[in-house]
Amino acid sequence: MKTVKYIATADSPKSLNRGKYLFGVLIITVVSLLIFDIFFGSVSIKASDVVKALFSHDGSTFETIIMKFRFPKAITAFTVGAALSLSGLQMQTVFRNPMAGPDVLGISSGASLGVAFVILGFSGSITTDSINGLGNWILVAASWLGAGAVMFLIMILSSRVKDIMTILIIGIMFSSGISAIVTIMQYFSNETMLKAYVIWTMGSLGNLTSNQLNVLLISVSAGAILSLISTKRLNALLLGENYAASIGLNVRFARFLIFACTSIMAGSVTAFCGPIAFIGIAVPHMTRILFKTADHSILIPGTFLTGGAVMLLSDIISQLPGSESVLPVNSVTSLIGIPVVIWVILRNRKYSTLF
Amino acid sequence: MNSKQILSLDSLKIGYVSGNQKSVLLPPLTATANTGELVAVIGRNGIGKSTLLRTLTGIQESLGGEVFFAGKDMRDYSRTELAQKVGYISTEIVKVHNMTVHDLVALGRFPHTNWIGKITSTDDEKIMDAIEKTSMLAFRNKFISELSDGERQKAMIARILAQDTDIMVMDEPTAFLDIGSKYEIMNLLHVLSQKSEKTIIFSTHDLHMAISQSDKVWLILDNQLLEGAPEDLMIEGAFDHLFESSSVHFNSENGTFSFRGENRGSLYVEGDGLIKYWTKEAITRAGFSLSDEITKPYIKVNMGNKNKWQFVSLNSVEEFYSIYELVCRLQKEDFRSI
Repeated sequence: MKTVKYIATADSPKSLNRGKYLFGVLIITVVSLLIFDIFFGSVSIKASDVVKALFSHDGSTFETIIMKFRFPKAITAFTVGAALSLSGLQMQTVFRNPMAGPDVLGISSGASLGVAFVILGFSGSITTDSINGLGNWILVAASWLGAGAVMFLIMILSSRVKDIMTILIIGIMFSSGISAIVTIMQYFSNETMLKAYVIWTMGSLGNLTSNQLNVLLISVSAGAILSLISTKRLNALLLGENYAASIGLNVRFARFLIFACTSIMAGSVTAFCGPIAFIGIAVPHMTRILFKTADHSILIPGTFLTGGAVMLLSDIISQLPGSESVLPVNSVTSLIGIPVVIWVILRNRKYSTLF
Repeated sequence: MNSKQILSLDSLKIGYVSGNQKSVLLPPLTATANTGELVAVIGRNGIGKSTLLRTLTGIQESLGGEVFFAGKDMRDYSRTELAQKVGYISTEIVKVHNMTVHDLVALGRFPHTNWIGKITSTDDEKIMDAIEKTSMLAFRNKFISELSDGERQKAMIARILAQDTDIMVMDEPTAFLDIGSKYEIMNLLHVLSQKSEKTIIFSTHDLHMAISQSDKVWLILDNQLLEGAPEDLMIEGAFDHLFESSSVHFNSENGTFSFRGENRGSLYVEGDGLIKYWTKEAITRAGFSLSDEITKPYIKVNMGNKNKWQFVSLNSVEEFYSIYELVCRLQKEDFRSI
């Protein structure tokens, strides 16, 4: 037994150190990107003015730009990236499908259907501008329900269809079906509602009111805590449901917990920032490459940080530092995410039904 | 004997529920297994072996009857307690990227760890012990996607060893393996049942291996489950039921198969040693039966510095220098009339 103990401690700290080192690097990266995102934008502000704006309250234009716009936007970017990536990670594990993610499987569409019901379904008195306080929670809850409903349907189908590409196509069908429903709703809605909805679909990180940002932060924190609670369950689910059940996992409850968690995170982000593509599917793979592990006790915090970093980077790129024009952030995330997704597809073509 | 009994099935009904419809696969099954026994589950494809094994593990609901683990009804165990009592390996191949053998084996500790899955020093010892017993130490930090089929199966076995259950249920653990890995896994199961007192219930299609290696056989037939030492079942001629309608014949004398093809008459083989044994095998394969008394014609084998076979008929003696040549010659013959 002595030799066994020796071996057990001989090389495990090495991998532990690699993890710690990587987490250190990630945290530094996130902080640097956060600072960079605040310092650079379409209006060029001198570094000294940025610092002054952050630490004094002189009511200058710079202070307004920094404190009311850039700072909340940077925080939103991090939160959105972290939340989408974390929900993507969990979906990939639960569906045992490397192509799973909130946007590809139609979960984001489901969330947007919920939003459409709130904005287009109610009277013209509700617009994105007038939604406040309780209204934000209604919007978010509708989004959660829409995301959860699609997730539930996909789950039922994936228990019958094992092929990941088939499920992917079904997800695309769902998205198309939902946009058809939304188009019908748009057709029957009045001009004000329509305008409010169209503005929402454009998606942006910078349009959140402080109240909305609070709702987003609370929801995403709840989701992140739920994911941490699910760590052990997610690890068991890696082996598939039969094995997970055979080692004592309550599969039905685990699924419910994980679906609730992903619906909350993907739904909240979609409710306030519109559909943001490819972060949810690509970042978990980036994290796996980085940490070279399948253990969720490392992947969950890892994905959280990587997702935040990638989204901050996308936001910085979309500002086109040094110029005055701004790119839609959705295009930037797509251009970052798509190569990763293609790489995963190429790597997995040998066993398309397996994770 | 009864004090050692760890598993018993009492009129267990297995099958599927779809909607309100229950479809029971087999008549109620009754069987037992003792501590440290290697039990082979044998039956034709699709008869319900996998369903039985899944029902035993608690993954699938039973449709009636009872299963007792150590004298306690399976339904009185909680999920976690059950997972501490019985482990399971299915035919499903686990291919997870970036998962090391150590990670996989550590998952076996699932029913023993706390809510977040913290690995204590006891867990670590059990994990390392399991890896060592399956001789996977050298592969500990390898990714399971890099392993061969045989190595991966050993890693899976290490995982249920770490789960620390009295009973291990395995669905065709040697399927898809090359012959070397097959025997290695079988040997491992044998050692685990003997030394670690694990009761191993495994299904297999390799009848020869099941008969020579297992302590007990559960033979599932369409109308009943027969249990006993493989030799008991052999004496009863139970295995013959497996091949009732086919042209395969099971020889209860030596536990091998033969094809019930056309019988082309009987032949006597004169000679001794290894060469005689293999000559007999070849002649049987060619469709002749072996005779204990001298026949005309007959075969004479000579071992010398050059092996020689003689085909002695009434008025001639033909000589051959390999079994292949001999069998080619015999293909033309039919001795039923003689």
